[in-house]
Amino acid sequence: MAKTKNILNLENVSKIYQMDGVSVKALDNVTLTITEGDFVSIIGPSGSGKSTMMHIVGCLDTPTSGKVFLDGQEVSQMSERQLAQVRNKKIGFVFQQFNLLPRTSALENVSLPLLYNGTPSSQIPQKAAEVLGKVGLGERLGHHPNQLSGGQQQRVAIARALVTDPSIILADEPTGNLDSKSGVEIMDIFKRLHHQGRTIILVTHDDEIADQAQRIIRLRDGKVIN
Amino acid sequence: MEPKQLIKIATKSLSVNRSRSFLTALGVIIGVASVILLVSVGSGLKDFITGQMQDMGSNLIMIVPGDIDIEGAGAGGEAASGAFSSVTVSKLELSDAQEIERSLPQIKDTAAMVMAPGLASYKSESFSGQVIGTTQNYVNIRNSEFEKGSFFTQSEVNSGRKVAVLGYSIAEELFGSQDPVGEKIKVGDYRYLIIGVMKEQGGQGSLTSDDKIFVPITTAQRQFGIDNISLIFTQVNSSDEVTSTIPLIEEVMLRRHDEEDFTVIDQKEILSTVSAILDTLTIALGGIAAISLLVGGIGIMNIMLVSVTERTREIGLRKALGATPEVILTQFLIEAVFLSVGGGIIGILLGSGGAILLNNFIPMAITAWSVILAFAVSAGVGIIFGIAPARRASLLSPIEALRYE
Repeated sequence: MAKTKNILNLENVSKIYQMDGVSVKALDNVTLTITEGDFVSIIGPSGSGKSTMMHIVGCLDTPTSGKVFLDGQEVSQMSERQLAQVRNKKIGFVFQQFNLLPRTSALENVSLPLLYNGTPSSQIPQKAAEVLGKVGLGERLGHHPNQLSGGQQQRVAIARALVTDPSIILADEPTGNLDSKSGVEIMDIFKRLHHQGRTIILVTHDDEIADQAQRIIRLRDGKVIN
Repeated sequence: MEPKQLIKIATKSLSVNRSRSFLTALGVIIGVASVILLVSVGSGLKDFITGQMQDMGSNLIMIVPGDIDIEGAGAGGEAASGAFSSVTVSKLELSDAQEIERSLPQIKDTAAMVMAPGLASYKSESFSGQVIGTTQNYVNIRNSEFEKGSFFTQSEVNSGRKVAVLGYSIAEELFGSQDPVGEKIKVGDYRYLIIGVMKEQGGQGSLTSDDKIFVPITTAQRQFGIDNISLIFTQVNSSDEVTSTIPLIEEVMLRRHDEEDFTVIDQKEILSTVSAILDTLTIALGGIAAISLLVGGIGIMNIMLVSVTERTREIGLRKALGATPEVILTQFLIEAVFLSVGGGIIGILLGSGGAILLNNFIPMAITAWSVILAFAVSAGVGIIFGIAPARRASLLSPIEALRYE
């Protein structure tokens, strides 16, 4: 029955930006549900609202109207401080640019989210090392980002997303900065995580990448079109 | 979030940018070190001068020309500086000194003085010193000790003989290892027979005898064409009698002078006046150094602001991973405080070490208040100048920050 649990609900979500006095509707009355264990890709051309969608799903931003429920909790009305805590516990981010701290070891990069959620210092290195082992970097704990290939850096980023055991892995163009071979490796990791029961949301403009997901949500002009 | 982890994050950021952290702290290091150094110079000078004045003895009374407001001088430096300048034309006479000694039994010794700069020469050597014309009791009052020979006598003063006693450095400069006693030196167009050399006294300025040439006051008045005298020293039998003797001296003086064109002061008053001047000097020196501390603080703010811009993506990432605005604010504040406090500690070590080293050359006294003040100000500077950049960092939107190139 766990399969049918809704992990994310968007109800009539709209986001309106004011740009030079003109209102721009980035998301227009979007309603959708993602259940636990889904592997969903959100696809659309630039300007379709997929970045805005990612920000709202990732609790980086709140909608102008409508409600967002994450793991049963309404997040659409939360303060910045509460959102930060929700992001820490429930969302694992993977970015196109990797966003690893420079001159900082893989182990310390993966430890970062644990520093912000009160994990006792004594447990942090062990947890971080364990997750790095799972993405195949158990031998490179002390390496700095500039000593790692792009694919390896993205694997560190995935480990960082997994270390807090989040409800959702939210990946924004995770293969966008990688060569095709590394891209395939990263997609394989996502597929493996999906088989292990993780909920994965992948934001992309690339059909080939999007097709590898179980379900595709197409956006155009701020609306879901499928 | 554990405070230990916050501190760890902040120190990690500082150590990742080691050289920039050091350069930023350098402003505070220099500021704190210079506050400590300059205040040490000022208070060292004060200790030295007051120490030398105390050596003169507490039963000393001086009569100086001009009507000086000593009470006012204790409060501020301005009136006090008048006490030692010679802007007033002296109306003191040699006979004043003689009269005081004759009419007041509690006075043990009296010495009158005139001063003039003089170039002393012996064969090809010459030395620019100060000629002190005085009376035979000068040595008793100042407890002078002699390397060779002796001071001139009352009869030599009375008859205005051309005899001289040399200070230690001047004798060494002119004669080297040769015995000066019995030789003649030239000062201006007078030739003086040397009858004694004083022991080395050390120190500088008007208080040391090392660079002085002592001659009978009558001879000096004749050579330099001075009718009046610059100063009268008197020594009472015991220091308990100082306060009661001052009005008696004033009485004797007023009988001989139409108006109060003189001032009678004792060593205690001079000490408090000198202390007031040197305290003002110390505060002024400390104040100048404090400006550099302020500049150091602004340097920290500047670098922290640049650092916030440079680390925009990092801040965005930290926020995305769950750092609340308060955590970001605290992280940047801790970084600023660590820079300034760390700089403060290094500055204290450098300043104190420098003061201890310099103490071999000039008198220095490290004062606790300057160390504590410099440290407190540096820590305060870190917090005050750290707030603006830290606030800016904490208010960054994570979306904008992550998008920042």
